[in-house]
Amino acid sequence: MIRQSDGVSLSAIINPENIYFLEGKPSREEVVRRLAEKILPQVSGIITGKALFARLAEVEKLNQVLESGFYIPHAKFPELDGFHAVLGICPEGFPDAAAGLTVKVVLLLLSPHKPAFFQRHLNMLSLLSQTFQPELIEKLAALKDPSEVFALIKSK
Amino acid sequence: MVPNPKFKQVFVLSTAMLSFISFWKAASIVLCDFGSSAYYAGGIAMNAFGPAFPWFIMVVMLFSGLMLGVYTESCIMFVRGGVYVVVREAMGKVMAKLSVSALIFDYTLTGPISSVTAGLYVGSLLENLLPLLHINWHVPGHAFAVIFAVLVTAYFWRENIRGIEESADNNVKIISFVAVVAVILIAWSGVTLYSRGFTLPPFKPVFTTQALGWTVNFPWLRTAGFIGLIMAFGHSILALSGLETLAQVYREIEDPKVENLKKTVVTIFFFSVFFTGLLTFVSALIIPGDLIAGKYADNLLSGLAIQLSGPYWARLFMQVAVVISGALMLVGAVNTSFVGSNGVLNRVADDGILHDWFRHLHKRYGTTHRLINLVAITQILIIIISGGNIFLLGEAYAFGVLTSMTFNTASMIILRFKHRDEEREWMFPFNIRIDNVYVPVGMMAVLMILLAATGMNMLTKKVATIGGVLFTMTFFSIFHVSEKLNEEKARLYAPDEDNDEKMNLRREVDIHTVVPELTKARRVLVPVRNPNNLVHLAQVLETVEDEDTDIIVLSAKIAKGIQSGGESMSDEDKEVFSAVVLLAEKYGKTVKPIFVFSNDPFYSMAQVAQAAKVDEIVMGVSGSTGAEIQLERLAMAWGMLKKTDAAGKPVLAKVVWEGRQMTYQLS
Repeated sequence: MIRQSDGVSLSAIINPENIYFLEGKPSREEVVRRLAEKILPQVSGIITGKALFARLAEVEKLNQVLESGFYIPHAKFPELDGFHAVLGICPEGFPDAAAGLTVKVVLLLLSPHKPAFFQRHLNMLSLLSQTFQPELIEKLAALKDPSEVFALIKSK
Repeated sequence: MVPNPKFKQVFVLSTAMLSFISFWKAASIVLCDFGSSAYYAGGIAMNAFGPAFPWFIMVVMLFSGLMLGVYTESCIMFVRGGVYVVVREAMGKVMAKLSVSALIFDYTLTGPISSVTAGLYVGSLLENLLPLLHINWHVPGHAFAVIFAVLVTAYFWRENIRGIEESADNNVKIISFVAVVAVILIAWSGVTLYSRGFTLPPFKPVFTTQALGWTVNFPWLRTAGFIGLIMAFGHSILALSGLETLAQVYREIEDPKVENLKKTVVTIFFFSVFFTGLLTFVSALIIPGDLIAGKYADNLLSGLAIQLSGPYWARLFMQVAVVISGALMLVGAVNTSFVGSNGVLNRVADDGILHDWFRHLHKRYGTTHRLINLVAITQILIIIISGGNIFLLGEAYAFGVLTSMTFNTASMIILRFKHRDEEREWMFPFNIRIDNVYVPVGMMAVLMILLAATGMNMLTKKVATIGGVLFTMTFFSIFHVSEKLNEEKARLYAPDEDNDEKMNLRREVDIHTVVPELTKARRVLVPVRNPNNLVHLAQVLETVEDEDTDIIVLSAKIAKGIQSGGESMSDEDKEVFSAVVLLAEKYGKTVKPIFVFSNDPFYSMAQVAQAAKVDEIVMGVSGSTGAEIQLERLAMAWGMLKKTDAAGKPVLAKVVWEGRQMTYQLS
């Protein structure tokens, strides 16, 4: 059973189709850019690519890598009505200078920018950071297939 | 549990100011000083100007209502007030140092006059009791009083080194017992007066040569009736000692602060009028004049008990009760003199006019033990020098009382003009509004009376004038030299190991060792960072109930890559907590300040909140990120630290700023 908490569920945002492996040692900005390109089809017709990249560049200054080594770049858009996400696995990891940590799992999350939705947004962030603990991150980084990744997350 | 490297150290702060007391406890502390004069003021006044003394003691007690009004307004304006702060604000530092130096003279004498009086009462009782037990010992009154006074001073010396809370509890017990004895005494006196009848004492004072002081050289002064009245009023005003204690205690009064202050003041006033004023009056009606001037001059209420109508054993029993209550109250006044002088000296030390050496905190009890030692040693010396002569002590007394009251009242008048736009929650009555100034006509009248009494006392009370001026100048010099030394230190950039707010720091390795100290049903975590942005803390202090809610104030110092464990608080960190303590005092609510080193403040918030099982986290808004980002970071840190099997207690996360707040739930 995939994890859920107070009205939010990982199953709503994670499925094998939106899990990607990022090869090499890309920079943090590169990771966010690549994931943004992956998420763009999910929001096409709602948000333009230009608006998405511009907003992500803006919020990137404020987003922080968690102490667990999990990174959730996230941005809110008033045009959205629900969550959109892509999960990136970077087996070799990339260093984050600000946190002094190596990041191996990144989840790009887009949420509606609506006061009524903010509680769910917070719940989702909390659920993600609760789920992606160092032990799971190491296991995920060792996997090779999106369906295995999904199955492992589902089992937690 | 292995300490998390993100959470290397936890400092738990405690200062003497972080616990708050009820209005009744506050009143009892003040009354132990203010009310204790009932046991000696009448005798001393009788010794100075004869049988008219009860009228003047009563007038002084009624006048205390006006002075309590002046002090109420000043207390509300300055939570950490007292004559020093009020005078400094109105007249500047030099006058403030002068006024507080005079006040220290008053406090220093309060202990000896009270403890010696207690010794005289106990000695007098033993004189009556020992023959009944077939013990033919003569109790040497003055020598016994000196030994008794020294022992009492030593006892409260130790108690104050250990901390105020315990002492405040003692004061409540003392005042409760005294109130019971006073009610019985007043009722019995009423029965006695009804059965015997009475004659009112004369109103005209008849001064002894000693009581005329230097005015003996100006006989024309005595011919003016009004001047004689002022003279007698001045000789009785020693009954008014204790108002400064109210200002010192106000910071410790619990929420709702102003309402509790008013209750405190009303309690003090009625207790004083009925206890000091009425008992002194009925003593004069019941005790024969020659006995008041002789046998009972220094233990007037003992005399009242023995002179009541009824069987001797009952009167003796009443005397025992009076002496026990008197001894308890008078020794309570000794305690108050410690608490008061320590508070005043701490206040001036806050302003940099007392060298930091004096403010060193006791390692175990966190009290300013060097100040307490100074007060104790001075008091014991005065007791020994006095030789147990209450009239000598009484002669010296009141200099500081009058001087500080005069300075305080004059300053409050000036502040009506200087701080004309400041909103006052309560004002001394009788004001005329001209534009935006409430001209304090009532307070001006009070000042006129005080100035007249001060001037007259300077002329009539030689010992008080000489002793007071010498003592005042000595303390003024100490303050002046300390101030120069502190200025020099600042000029040389000498790092000061101590900050303005003296804090007791207790170091813990883990937050879980602090959690058992949180005992209330609800818990609110208030993270703080900027001493100028505590709106959220103010809102919490204003809204939560102190009785059922622990307020944990958390300051997380950002320390990158902390591992060493050698981190310490900087002056900036202490400044944050000084501001927190001041705010807690303003609202009269207890807070638990915790200081941690962490490289992520949201992580430390979440960790403390989860460890302490808080109900709410209330943050101030960050100017750099904004409320939403703060909540997002907290939610992520919350989730990261939350155990999968943790019970789902709803925890509210709030961000508060001027006029707005965002509230969400952490899951």
